[in-house]
Amino acid sequence: MTPATRKRKYPLGGPASGGISSESRRRKKSRWIPSFELRMMLPGIVPLAVLSLIPFGYLIWMSVSKVTLIGGVSLTGVGGDNWSKMFSDPAVSASWKISAFYFVATVGIEMLLGVGIAILVHERLFGRNILVSILLMPMFVAPVIVGLLGRFLTDSSFGLYSWLLTLVGIDSNVLGSPRTALAAVVALDVWEWTPLIMLITLAGLSAVPQPLIEAASLDGAGYFKRLWYVVIPSISGVLVVALLIRAMDAIRFFDIIWITTNGGPADATKIIPLRLYEIAFRFFDLGYAAAIGLTMLLFSIIMANLFVALLEKKKGAAQ
Amino acid sequence: MVNLDASQFGGITRRDALRGTLLATSAVVLPGFLASCSSSGTKAGGTSGATVSGGAPDWKQFQGTTLNFISENTAPSAAIAADSAAFTQKTGMNVKIQQMELGALVQKVALDFGSGRASYDVIYADPYQVLAPYYKGLVDLNVFAQDKSLPPIPGGIEDFIPSQLLTTGRFLDETKLYALPYDCPTMIWIYRKDIFAKFKDQMSQALGFDPTPSDNTTWEQYYKIAKWFNDNKAKTGIPYGTGHQAKQYDSLMCDFSNILASYGGGYFADDTKVGGIGSASPGKCMLDSPEAIQAAEFYNKLLSIANPGSTTWDWSGADAGFQAGQMVMVPNWHEFASGDVAKFGENVGFFRLPKGPKRCASIFGGTGISINANASEKQQKAAWLFLLWATSGETQVADLKSKVGGGTPTRTSVYEMPEVVQNSKWPSTMPNLLATNAAREAWKPENAYMRPKISQWNQVDTVVFTELSKMLAGQQSPSAAMKSAKQQIDKIVGA
Amino acid sequence: MIARRSRFSSAVLQILTVLVVLFTAVPLVWMALSSIKPTNDIMSHRPVFLFRPTLEHYRGLFTNGNHVDRYLVNSLVAAGVSSLIATALGALGGYGLSRSTMRGKRHLAFWIISTRMAPIAAVLLPLFLIFRRLGLLDSLSGLVVAYLTFNLPFAIWIMAAFFDSLPGSLEEAARVDGCSRWGAFWRISLPLTRAGLVTTWILCLVFSWNDYSFAQTFSGTSSQTLPIAATQLITQTGIDWGQLTAVGVIVVVPMVIAGLAVRRWLVTGLTLGAVTGE
Repeated sequence: MTPATRKRKYPLGGPASGGISSESRRRKKSRWIPSFELRMMLPGIVPLAVLSLIPFGYLIWMSVSKVTLIGGVSLTGVGGDNWSKMFSDPAVSASWKISAFYFVATVGIEMLLGVGIAILVHERLFGRNILVSILLMPMFVAPVIVGLLGRFLTDSSFGLYSWLLTLVGIDSNVLGSPRTALAAVVALDVWEWTPLIMLITLAGLSAVPQPLIEAASLDGAGYFKRLWYVVIPSISGVLVVALLIRAMDAIRFFDIIWITTNGGPADATKIIPLRLYEIAFRFFDLGYAAAIGLTMLLFSIIMANLFVALLEKKKGAAQ
Repeated sequence: MVNLDASQFGGITRRDALRGTLLATSAVVLPGFLASCSSSGTKAGGTSGATVSGGAPDWKQFQGTTLNFISENTAPSAAIAADSAAFTQKTGMNVKIQQMELGALVQKVALDFGSGRASYDVIYADPYQVLAPYYKGLVDLNVFAQDKSLPPIPGGIEDFIPSQLLTTGRFLDETKLYALPYDCPTMIWIYRKDIFAKFKDQMSQALGFDPTPSDNTTWEQYYKIAKWFNDNKAKTGIPYGTGHQAKQYDSLMCDFSNILASYGGGYFADDTKVGGIGSASPGKCMLDSPEAIQAAEFYNKLLSIANPGSTTWDWSGADAGFQAGQMVMVPNWHEFASGDVAKFGENVGFFRLPKGPKRCASIFGGTGISINANASEKQQKAAWLFLLWATSGETQVADLKSKVGGGTPTRTSVYEMPEVVQNSKWPSTMPNLLATNAAREAWKPENAYMRPKISQWNQVDTVVFTELSKMLAGQQSPSAAMKSAKQQIDKIVGA
Repeated sequence: MIARRSRFSSAVLQILTVLVVLFTAVPLVWMALSSIKPTNDIMSHRPVFLFRPTLEHYRGLFTNGNHVDRYLVNSLVAAGVSSLIATALGALGGYGLSRSTMRGKRHLAFWIISTRMAPIAAVLLPLFLIFRRLGLLDSLSGLVVAYLTFNLPFAIWIMAAFFDSLPGSLEEAARVDGCSRWGAFWRISLPLTRAGLVTTWILCLVFSWNDYSFAQTFSGTSSQTLPIAATQLITQTGIDWGQLTAVGVIVVVPMVIAGLAVRRWLVTGLTLGAVTGE
C-alpha cells in the first residue's frame, strides 16, 4: 500500500486513534462480513456469552419464581413476591449495611496502605527486590487458607496472636465479640490484598517521568508537597485501575468471613454475599436468593460504571 | 431361609456360606423364581436378586458395581474410607466416599436433587438439614427390608436403639423408613476428674454440696461450681470453670437446647413429637414462654462466667479448648471422648448433663444414611447392601477399633458385647467407649432431647442461634432475644 | 528517588519497612513452622518456638485415605490449563476489542468486564445445571470451563488495555509492507505485549488456583482441588492444624514461586497496561 492509499484508507489517522476507517464504512454498505476485529473477539466472547447470559437469564426467571429441587428443578411463577420480600426484609438490609462498611473499609485501607507501602518501597535503595518479593506473598494465598490462618492465629487456646495480646494485657477473644470480629476480618482481607494494590502502584510509580519530579524539587517544593501535587496525580490513572480490579472482587468474595466467623458473632460480619449463600444453600430459597443476587449485580455494575467513567475522564484529561 | 439373626452380627457365618455353596450347584433354577416373589417395589428386571440357593441372599449379587457415598467428615466415614476393602471383599463392590463439611454436603445434595439424576447413591442424611427438607428424594427402605432377594438387616431392625431409629430414619410417616442410624453423638458433661478429686473437699465446704457430677446435680449447681473454679484459678492452674460451643452457629443452638428443655421450655408445643417423627406444621413457637425466658436468662448468666473463647468455638473448638486446659468442664458431644482420653487418660470424666428445674435434657446429634431415589433400581439395591454393611454391628465395632475412626455405634447388641462392655471403663482399647455409660444415660427417654424436625429447620435454627448470639454479645436481653426469635419463627413456619 | 535523605527520615523509613515486613511475613512464617511442629506443640497454649521438627503432617497428607498429591495435580492442571486458554483467548479478544471500531464498543467492553462481577452463590445453580447437561461435572475440564467464567473477562480486558497502549501505526507499517492483518497481529503486536501476556497468565493462574466456591460445587471425587483439601481437614471432631498448615504451605508455595519468578514481567506488564493513554 502506498502512503497515498494509506491516507485514503485511514483519513483520521488509524484505528488506534478511534477513527472510523472508510474501509469499514464501505463494508457496512455492502453485505455484512464480520470485521477482522470481530472475528478475533469471537473465540473469547462466545464462550463468555454462553457462560454468563444463560445464567443471567435463569437468574431473572428464578427471581420471579419459587424454585423446588426435588426430582429436578421446577420453577413456579410467583410474580414479585421475592422482590417485595427482599425490600421488607430487615436481615437483608442489615447485611447491605455491613457489606457497605466492609467494602469501604477493606478497599479504602488497601488503597491507602498499598500506595503508602509502594512509596516506601520505591524510596529504597538496597534490597528492593527481596522486599517486594516478601511483600507480594499474601496475595498468592488462597482466601480459604487466609481465613484458616486467621483462625489459627487468633484462637484463644493456642493462637500466636491471642497469646501476644495477653502479654499486653488484653484478654483476647478476637473473633468472639462483634466489633473485634469485624475488625479482624477486615484485617485479614487487607493482609491478603494490599500487595496487589502495592504492586500496581509500584508499577505506576516507576513510570513517573523523572524530569517531572526534578522540576518540582527545583521549584522548591518539599517532599510531601511533591508527593501530593506531582506524584499522586500522575499515577491517578493507575490507582483507578487498581481500585476497579479490587472492587470487582471485594463485593462478591466471602470465603474469608465464611470460614472464620460464619457471619457472626451477632451477625456482625454477615455481609450480603454470605447471606446470599445461606439463603440459597441452607434455606433452599433459590428464588429469593436470585432476587438478592440480581441486586448485587446491579450494584456492582453501577459501581463499575462510576470507575470506568472516572478512567475515561483521566484518559480524556491526559490527552 | 437362613435365619441371620442367630448368627453373628453383620454377615454370613462360615457355616452359612458352606451350606450355601454346597447347595449352589443344585439350585440354579431358584433365582428367577425367588426374584419374582419379591415385594411390589421391585420390577422383574434382569438384574434383580440372584441368590445363592437355599434362599440365602447373595451379598455378592451386585459384584462390580461402584457406589458413590457422600458424607459429612465424621469418624465412622473416615474409618470406612480408610478400610473400604472390607466392603469390597464382602460384596465385590466398590464404594467411593466423598467427605466434606456439613454445609458443603447440604449444598451438593441439594444441587444433586436439582439435577434430577443421582451423582450420589448413598447420602448421609442429617435429620434436620437433609431428611426433613428432602425426604421425598429418599428411598423408603422398607421396600428393601422386605425384599427376600436382598439380605435382611443384620441383627434385625429392632437392634437399633428405637429413639434413634425414629429420629434419624423417619419423617412424618410412621410406616416409612428413610435411613438407617449411622452414628449417634450426644451431648454430655465432660470434666477433669483429677481436678475435681483434688479440690472436692474445698469445694464441698465452700459450696455446701458435693460437686462430683451425680444424677442430682442441677444446672444452678453447675454454675456455682464453674464460678468457684473461676475464683480459684490460682490454685487449680486452669483459668476457667466452664467453656461452651457458643459460636454463632448450629453449636450454639445445641448447647442452649439442653438448658431450654431442662427448664421445661421448648421450641414448639410438643417438642417430643416434633423432634421424634417430625411435623409439617409444628404450630406456634413457644420460645416466649416463661420457662424459655428463664432458660435464656440462665444461659446468659452461665456464659457470662464461661471462658471468653466460647463465642468463637463450635464443638471442636470447645474440645480443643478443653484439651488445652483452658477450662475444667465442657458440655460437648460424647464422641470427643477418644481425643480427650488420649490427652488426659483416666483424668477425664464423663457424665450425664446436669438437670434443670423440670428435667435433664441431653440433645441428640445422630444421623442416618439413606438411598437416593433418583438412582437406578440396581444402584439402589446395591446401595442397600452398603447401608446394611455400614450400620452392621461388625462394622461398628471395627470402627471403634480403627485408628482414624472411633465412631458411635447405634445398635443395642453392640453395647452388650462383652468386649465393648469391658472397654467402657478404664483402661480401654476403644477410648470412645469411655463415654458410653454417660451417653446411654442420656438416651433414656426421660433424658433424651431431640430438636424439632421440620423442613424449615435450617431457617429456624439460624434465627435461634443468631438471636442468642446477639444476646450473648450484650446487644439484647434474654427475653427480648426469645421474643424476637419467636416472632421470626412464627413467620417461617406459617403459624 | 523523590526525597533527599536525612538521618531521621532514614530511620523512620527503616522502622516502617520492618513493621510492614513483620505484618506480612509473620503469619506465613508461623504457618510454615507449624507445619513441621509436632501436634502437641502446635496446640500448646504458650507458643512453642523451639521444637523437634517432624514431617508427620506432610506424610499424613499423602497417606491415610488423604490424596493431597492428587489434589495438587488437579489444582495444577485445572488452574494451569484454564489460565492458558484464558490468556490465549484473551489475547485474541483483547486485540479485537482494542482495534475494533464498532459503534457499541464501549458497551461491549463494559459488558465483558461486568460478567466478572456476578455474585457467585446466585449463579451456582444455573451453572450447575448447564454443566450437568454438558457432562462437565466431576471433571477437570469442567473446572477449566468454570474458571473461564472469571478468567476470560479479566484476560480480555487486561489484554485490551495493553493493546490500547500500542500505537496502531506499528501495525499499519506492517500492513504497508505486505503483512496480512493476522500477520500484523501475530508478528508485530503480540510479541510487544509479552509482559502483558505473562501478567494475565499469572493473575488468572492465581485466581483459579485460589478458587474454592466453584471447585467445591463442580468437582467430585476425581477432580478435587487443594483448597477443598484444606476445608476437608475441618472434621466433625476437630481440626488437625498440623496437616492444615502443611496444606497451607503446599497451596502457597507454588504460587509464590510462580509469581516471584515472573515478578519483573509483572511490574513491567502492569506499567504498560495500567498506565493507559499516557
